[in-house]
Amino acid sequence: MSPAAMVATQSMPPIPNRSTSAAGLRQKVQMHDVNFYYGAAHALKYINLTLHDKSVTAFIGPSGCGKSTLLRVLNRIYELYPGQRATGEVLVDGENILSPGLDLNLLRAKIGMVFQKPTPFPMSIRDNIAFGIRLYERLPQSELDDRIESALHRAALWDEVKDKLKQSGLSLSGGQQQRLCIARAIAVKPEILLLDEPASALDPISTQRIEELIDELKPDYCIAIVTHNMQQAARCSNFTAFMYLGELIEFDETETIFTHPKERRTEDYITGRFG
Amino acid sequence: MTPYARRRLVNAVVMALSVAATGFGLLWLALVLWTLVVEGISAITPALFSQMTPPPGNSGGLMNAIFGSIAMTLIATLIGTPTGILAGTFLAEYSRGGRFGEAVRFINDILLSAPSIIVGLFVYEIMVVPMGHFSAWAGAVALAIIVIPVVVRTTEDMLNLVPNALREAASALGAPKWKVIVTVSYRAAIQGMLTGVMLAVARIAGETAPLLFTALNNQFWSSNLNAPMANLPVVIFQFAMSPYADWQLLAWGGALLITVTVLFLNIGARLLASWSTFKP
Amino acid sequence: MTAETAGVARISLAKGRAGAIGDVVFRALTFLFALLVLLILGGVIVSLVAGAWPALRTFGFFSFVTSSVWNPVTEQFGALAPIYGTLVTSAIAMLVGIPVAFGVAVFITEICPIWLKRPLATMIELLAAIPSIIYGIWGLFVFAPFVQQYIQPAIIGTFGQIPGIGMLFAGPPLGIGILTAGFILAIMVLPFISSIMRDVFETVPPMLKESAYGLGATRSEVVWRVVLPFTRIGVLGGVMLGLGRALGETMAVTFVIGNAHRISASILQPGTTISASLANEFTEAFGDLYRSSLIALGFILFIITFIVLAIAKMMLLRLQKQAGN
Repeated sequence: MSPAAMVATQSMPPIPNRSTSAAGLRQKVQMHDVNFYYGAAHALKYINLTLHDKSVTAFIGPSGCGKSTLLRVLNRIYELYPGQRATGEVLVDGENILSPGLDLNLLRAKIGMVFQKPTPFPMSIRDNIAFGIRLYERLPQSELDDRIESALHRAALWDEVKDKLKQSGLSLSGGQQQRLCIARAIAVKPEILLLDEPASALDPISTQRIEELIDELKPDYCIAIVTHNMQQAARCSNFTAFMYLGELIEFDETETIFTHPKERRTEDYITGRFG
Repeated sequence: MTPYARRRLVNAVVMALSVAATGFGLLWLALVLWTLVVEGISAITPALFSQMTPPPGNSGGLMNAIFGSIAMTLIATLIGTPTGILAGTFLAEYSRGGRFGEAVRFINDILLSAPSIIVGLFVYEIMVVPMGHFSAWAGAVALAIIVIPVVVRTTEDMLNLVPNALREAASALGAPKWKVIVTVSYRAAIQGMLTGVMLAVARIAGETAPLLFTALNNQFWSSNLNAPMANLPVVIFQFAMSPYADWQLLAWGGALLITVTVLFLNIGARLLASWSTFKP
Repeated sequence: MTAETAGVARISLAKGRAGAIGDVVFRALTFLFALLVLLILGGVIVSLVAGAWPALRTFGFFSFVTSSVWNPVTEQFGALAPIYGTLVTSAIAMLVGIPVAFGVAVFITEICPIWLKRPLATMIELLAAIPSIIYGIWGLFVFAPFVQQYIQPAIIGTFGQIPGIGMLFAGPPLGIGILTAGFILAIMVLPFISSIMRDVFETVPPMLKESAYGLGATRSEVVWRVVLPFTRIGVLGGVMLGLGRALGETMAVTFVIGNAHRISASILQPGTTISASLANEFTEAFGDLYRSSLIALGFILFIITFIVLAIAKMMLLRLQKQAGN
C-alpha cells in the first residue's frame, strides 16, 4: 500500500470485514461494452462490469463521471427522453435487457429505483406503497395491508407512521420521505435495487438510518448504489466501482479499492487529490 | 433649476402619476361595483328567483333566465373541461417541441383571446342553421368553445410544473405512461387544473355575445334543450336597453347576480391556487 | 419477511401488455382532442368565409370594405362605418389604456410595499373578470350620463375651440358615442396590458437595476432607461394583446356607441363597431344578403383580430426564448 493510501485509510473508520468472495456470489447483472449517448455526447464508454447478487456495489467518482447515467441504463429509465440511447449488452440473469422488444414496464417492476431527492407521490402513505403493488398484482385487502406493513417495517418506518397511514406522503420529513420511497420500491419485491445517491439530500442522522437499512436489505437483493461520499461507499458496500469521465477505471472488492487500489487515478481520488 | 433637481422632479412626477394611475384603475372598479350594489340590491328578492321574466310593464323575476344560465354553463363545462384537459395533456406530456404541438399551442392562445361574438357566429353556422332553430345545445356548445382554450392553457401549465422526478419514480415502479399521467401527474396538478376550470366557468358565466345567435332567449320557462332558452346575459341586454323601469330593475338585479358569481369564482380560484403552494 | 427475491426469478421478454394498449389509446385520445383545437379554428374560418361569400361576391371585397352605405331596405351594405368605429374606439382605448396600465405596472413593481402587491394586483385583475355586459349596463346608465354632463362639455369647451382639430370634438354632448365607448374599452383592457407588463417587468434581473441605481439613477430613470428597453418586446406583446381584446369587445360597446351606421369626423358622435352591429342586427336580419353582409363583417373582424393576436403571440414567444437564454 502506498504511503498516501495508508494515510488516507487511517483517517477513515475501520472497514468492516465483509467475508465476501466473488466466487460465492451469483452474478446477477453483466454489462458488456455498454455505451451511452445524450444526443451526440458520449457519456459512457465501453463499460464492462458485473453486479453480484445479495451484495452491495458502490459507484464512486467525481461529478459528471457517469455513475448516475450507468444506474439509469439498468432500468432503462432514460427511454423516457428522446435523444438518449444505450448500446451494448446488459444481461440480467442471462437475458439482455437492452433488446428492443423488451417490455420496459415489466423490467422496471423487477428493478427498483430510489432517487436522490425523495419523491413521494401526492397521495396517502398507504397509497404510495400500494401504488406499485397494484400495478401488477390483484391482492385482497388484508394481504395488501400485510405487504404494506412489512415494507414499512423493512424500511424502518413502520413505527413512525403506523398511526397515520392515511396522511399524505408529503407530510413526512425528508428522511422519512426517502424511507417511504425505499419502502415503496421494495414493496413490489424487486430483484435489483438501484439507489442514486439516496442520502445526499438528508441530514446525518437520516443518512445513518438509510445506511443501516441498506445493510439490512443486502442479504436479499442485488443493490447498486451511487454515492459521492467515499466513506459511505467504504462502509456499506462489498464491491466498489470507480468511474471517471464516463469510463470504468477500476472495479474490485471494496476492501481492495480502498486499501490497495491498482490504478493511479483511483488512488488519487480516494486520497482526495481531486474531487 | 439644477439638472439634478430637475431629474428629481421628473422622478417625483412620474411616481406620482403611477400612483394616480393605480388609483384611477381602482376607482373604476369601485364605481362599477358600487353602482351594481346600489341599483341591483333592491331587485334581490325571493321573487327574483321564483318568478319568470315578465312582459314589459309587469313585475316578475329571473328564474327561467337563471336556470338557463346554470344549465348551459354546466353543459358547457361538462363538454369543455375533459376536452381541454386531454388536449392540454397532449401538449404537456406527449408533444416535445414538435411542430404539431407548437401549432396547437399557438392556435389555442389565439382562440383564448378571440372575439366571443365570432364563436357565436360559428356555432350559428354549424348548429343553428342545420337544425333550423335556436337551441340551448347550441348555446352550450358556443360556451364550451370558450371554455376549451382556458382549460387547455391551465392544464398544460400545471402539468409542466409537475417535477420530472415524480414521473420517473412512477415509471421506475413499472407504471405505463398513461397510468403515470392519470394517477400521478393529474393528482399532483389537480389544484391548478381545478383553478383553471373555475376561471373558465367565471368567464362563461357572464358571456353574452356567443348566446345571442345560439340560445337566443325565451320569455317563458323552458327546460327543453332543443329550443331557445332564457339566460341571464341576454335578458339583461334586452331589459337594460328597454325603456321600462321594471325591466331595468330586473336587469340590474341580474347584473348583480352575475357579478357576485364571477367575483366569487375568481377569488375562490386565486385562493385555491395560493393555498396549494403552501401545502406541506 | 424473508428473502423477497424468490430464487431465480427471470425477467420475461413478454411483449405487449395491457399497459401498452392503454398507452396507445390514451395517446391517441389526447392527440385527437389536441387536433380538435386546430379543427375549431379551421371550422371558424371556413364557416365565416362560406357565410360571407354571397355578400362579398355581390359587392366585391374592395367596394364592400370602402363603402359606408348600410341600407337593409335597398340591400346596399358597406363595411366602412363599422370598421372605422372598431378601429377608432380601439385606438382611443389604447391611447388612454396604455399609459394607465404602464402606471399601474410601475406602481406595483417598483413602489408598492410588498404586503400590498398581491391584493392590489388581484384587484386590478378583477377589472378583467367583470363581464362585458356589466360594463355595458354600467356604461349606459352611469358612465354615459357622467360623460355627457362633465367630460364632453369640458372637451368641447377646450379642444373643441381649437381650429383644425376642433371638428374632432364637434357636436352636442350626447353621452353615448365613440369617445365613451373608447373610454370604457380602455378600462376593460387596462388590466390585461398591466398584468403582462407586470410579468415582464419582474423578469428584469435585479442586478441590472441595481447597477443603474448604484450609478445614482432615479427610479423613473431606471424604469425608462433600463426596465422598458429590456422588456420592450414583452410590453409590445402585451399591448397587442390588449388591442386584440379591444377590437373584439361586444357588449360594453353595444350599449354606449349609439349604433349609427355612419362615419363622423367628431368622436363625440355615435357610430358603430363590427361587433356592435352584429349584436344588434343579426337576429333581426331579413334576407340572405343582409345576413351574409353581417357575417362578412364578422369575417373581417376575425381577420383583424387574428393578425393582431398572432403578432402579440409571436412577440411574447420571442420574449420567452430570450428569457430562456
